[in-house]
Amino acid sequence: MHQTSNEFAPASQGELQRFVQENNSGERLAIYPVGGRTSLNFGRAATRPGSLVSLAKLTQTVDYPVRDMTITVEAGIRMDELAALLREQGQQLPIDVAQSNRATLGGVVATNASGPRRYGLGTMRDYVIGLTAIDAAGRMFHSGGRVVKNVAGYDLCKLMVGSLGSLAIITQLTLKLKPLPESTVLLWTPFNTFAEIDSALNDLQESSARPVVLDVLNTSAAKHVSAEARQDLPCDGPVLVIGLEGTARETAWQVEKLKDELHRKQPGEIVVTEDEPATRLLQALTEFPTASDAPLTFQAGLLPSKTLQFIEQATSQNIAVQSHAGDGLVIGHLPDMASSVEQVVELLKPLRELACNGRGNLVVLNCDADWAKDLPIMGEPEPGWPLMQQLKKALDPHNILNPGRFVFCEST
Amino acid sequence: MTTQTESPGNSIAAELLDGFREIVGDEGLLHNADELLVYECDGYIVEKKSPDVVVFPTTTEQVVAIVRLCNKFDVPFVPRGAGTSLSGGCLPVGGGVMITLTRMRQILEINLRDRYAVVEPGLVNVHLTQRLKDTSYHYAPDPSSQGACTIGGNVATNSGGPHTLKYGVTVNHVLGIEAVLPDGSVVELGGPAGAVGGYDLTGLFVGSEGTFGICTKVIVRLTRDPAAYRTLLGVFETVADATQAISGIIGAGIIPAALELMDQGIVGAIEEAYKFGFPLDAGAVLLMEVDGLEVAVDEEAERMVKICNEHGAREVRRATSEAERQLLWKCRKQAFGAVGRLSPSYCTQDGVVPRTRLPEILEFITATGQEHGIRIVNVFHAGDGNIHPILLFDERDQEQIDRVMKASDAILSKCLELGGSVTGEHGIGVEKIGFMDKMFTAEDLDVMADIRLVFNPDSRCSPAKMLPTAGACGMEHIERDHPGKQAAS
Ligand SMILES: Cc1cc2nc3c(=O)[nH]c(=O)nc-3n(C[C@H](O)[C@H](O)[C@H](O)COP(=O)(O)OP(=O)(O)OC[C@H]3O[C@@H](n4cnc5c(N)ncnc54)[C@H](O)[C@@H]3O)c2cc1C
Repeated sequence: MHQTSNEFAPASQGELQRFVQENNSGERLAIYPVGGRTSLNFGRAATRPGSLVSLAKLTQTVDYPVRDMTITVEAGIRMDELAALLREQGQQLPIDVAQSNRATLGGVVATNASGPRRYGLGTMRDYVIGLTAIDAAGRMFHSGGRVVKNVAGYDLCKLMVGSLGSLAIITQLTLKLKPLPESTVLLWTPFNTFAEIDSALNDLQESSARPVVLDVLNTSAAKHVSAEARQDLPCDGPVLVIGLEGTARETAWQVEKLKDELHRKQPGEIVVTEDEPATRLLQALTEFPTASDAPLTFQAGLLPSKTLQFIEQATSQNIAVQSHAGDGLVIGHLPDMASSVEQVVELLKPLRELACNGRGNLVVLNCDADWAKDLPIMGEPEPGWPLMQQLKKALDPHNILNPGRFVFCEST
Repeated sequence: MTTQTESPGNSIAAELLDGFREIVGDEGLLHNADELLVYECDGYIVEKKSPDVVVFPTTTEQVVAIVRLCNKFDVPFVPRGAGTSLSGGCLPVGGGVMITLTRMRQILEINLRDRYAVVEPGLVNVHLTQRLKDTSYHYAPDPSSQGACTIGGNVATNSGGPHTLKYGVTVNHVLGIEAVLPDGSVVELGGPAGAVGGYDLTGLFVGSEGTFGICTKVIVRLTRDPAAYRTLLGVFETVADATQAISGIIGAGIIPAALELMDQGIVGAIEEAYKFGFPLDAGAVLLMEVDGLEVAVDEEAERMVKICNEHGAREVRRATSEAERQLLWKCRKQAFGAVGRLSPSYCTQDGVVPRTRLPEILEFITATGQEHGIRIVNVFHAGDGNIHPILLFDERDQEQIDRVMKASDAILSKCLELGGSVTGEHGIGVEKIGFMDKMFTAEDLDVMADIRLVFNPDSRCSPAKMLPTAGACGMEHIERDHPGKQAAS
């Protein structure tokens, strides 16, 4: 963040609205909304002085009608606190989030964070059914409502999910919830080659099991995850991780089926983890994107069928790679040897091409602030960018919210 | 209404007609008054207005050319799919050009490995289902109108269906869109790999009810077929017992694949039409489906049977064959068709309440029907709390229409009072515009209007829809506070 920024933590949504309104009718300084500050390196460094607005005090539960399986909370609630609240009622928001002891709900919605279970359970856009936000002029607006099905008005929830604090400050959210599963199981199985994993993933499309996680790790990522999970898992080759959720009977049945199906492909070891170790492993997989001091971390999204080729290329460049392969999402940490922006550009070039050829894109999640200004952080320009820039102008005409950080919404 | 007296076709410049003819040929054009009559309303028959001309493009390029011409001549245009909208989404308010997409109905690509299909907007929903048969994949949103409605219409209204309780509504299954914006430019939003960076414009476009432009291509997500189903029919003495059972099922943390309620009135009509063997003396039946792994479905079905029994179910029947299951679903999905046996006209409302408030709202519906002397039958997506009271009337009788409007108003207001919404899937259209300022604050509507301006700066595309503020030039005569009053004369 900018050196000269001062900080403000409103005690209520109303106080925040007044602050934004006053700013808008006065100096129009920049406003940098922050939650748990876990993703502030995403995007470019702030260029203008202004205020850090922290939502840390906005943590109230507004309404939790348990039997309706929805909850309305203020956006500053920490993800682990929210999870604990829901767990007491046997419910969950099934979004896997790194650093949940810091990340706030509002921040997670703004960055559209997701993790391994996105394959089976979806992402934030599938769970946010209502929200309140304050735009740069201080207009407090609502979208959606508190019921699970609702098409009244434009769906500004979708617009706000992943909007990175560049359109409005999210102050309150209503979420659709799911029951907690009785059982969670992860299967960890190393392969000899990426081609074998690709073929296994292909077959899994027809599997009698219905996994919620299909992750692929190259060896260096596998070692990292195994150590983080404090488990001695085999890492002698690229690893496929398959996750299951459901009743104990459902997961047990699927484990047997999967063992059988996988054994026909490769007779390697299959480690089955359940209960607490499975939770810890899922946690380690979830933390992978942030648990590194690599010089640069990227995320690519491409067609699932093109993913293994991408991982193989990245692996040949000494990049530690985790992929939510069922969804075609790949997270990579560049090796330490990448020490100049020129080197980074070179390293990313073939990967960018593969991502674009796979009808996707590649964004930089985290890197040195000095590099960020010289890198296409948000990936190749997309056809929707001009519309995004106009939407930004509609809600933030004076470029007050997170100015300078995201190219797709600011024509510079 | 006054506009009805103008003879359609005459108010449009001959030059414009010639322009359209050049783009789509004579076979792609309707402009005689009698041909236009079919297009004077959609599934919402309370308001009527013929367009001046209907054009049937077959390619995106033709849509672009049509939209450019409309801009050049400054006439409003409205997209239309199959015209099954129940909120008057297709009503050409102020006349102008109707762009009907039903000739753009190809399936352009099916990619099972990457789980998507690319389709044209005029493709009928069920045609995609049929094409995917035996692939072990399907397109999940299954509106009851799926035999007629188009995927483009589904995208515009963010349609739901019986099985969207578990699988999510249209927006949860759309990965990308190609659209012709109201200025005639073409934009691609999202893609088969989803969007990686930037705003979720696909999500924003879905449900915009034709006011952000014309969708010309849709990339939909494909979902694996469940391995097994169990389909149950719970028979209850009263609607109250059935709604308590629903509340019990959801409250127990069970998310069935579908949970649909039909009351005695609708069951009678369905039985007459399809002879399924429904009990005619039951107050309500619940059509319940669980799906998943073969090892799991029996257990879940048993839990639901138990909850039904605890809430006084007379019996819970099971579909014993796939044929029986299909017939049950046919009865449900064609329930509206059977309503014709009850009354010459009907109006379906589409409120939502928190699911545990269903007993209250159904009691209220009964009382409201009695109060206004309107017969109301119910068939709806109970698991979502999405009610569909069907108000029966005779559209030739203006006084009855007025009572229908009053009863509808009361029911939807009650949904809001219970913490719900005035529409779960049919959209605001013209029908419910008067409710927007009850659901949303002036600031909310202001922000929505600003966002509409980004896509549709001249309001030429689908004018006077969704937002009470969004009038089109020359539209001032429309009574925005209660559009129902401009009912057909
Ligand atoms: C018997 C019956 C049962 C129904 N059951 C359900 C149900 O279970 N769930 C549900 O959600 N709905 C249901 N509906 C409502 C209706 O079928 C849906 O709203 C459907 O999505 C409309 O599709 P359509 O092709 O008929 O669109 P239309 O009625 O032709 O149009 C609907 C709206 O979409 C716009 N539009 C259409 N095509 C495009 C396009 N290509 N680009 C941009 N805008 C476009 C129109 O301008 C209009 O505003 C039912 C209707 C009937 C008559």
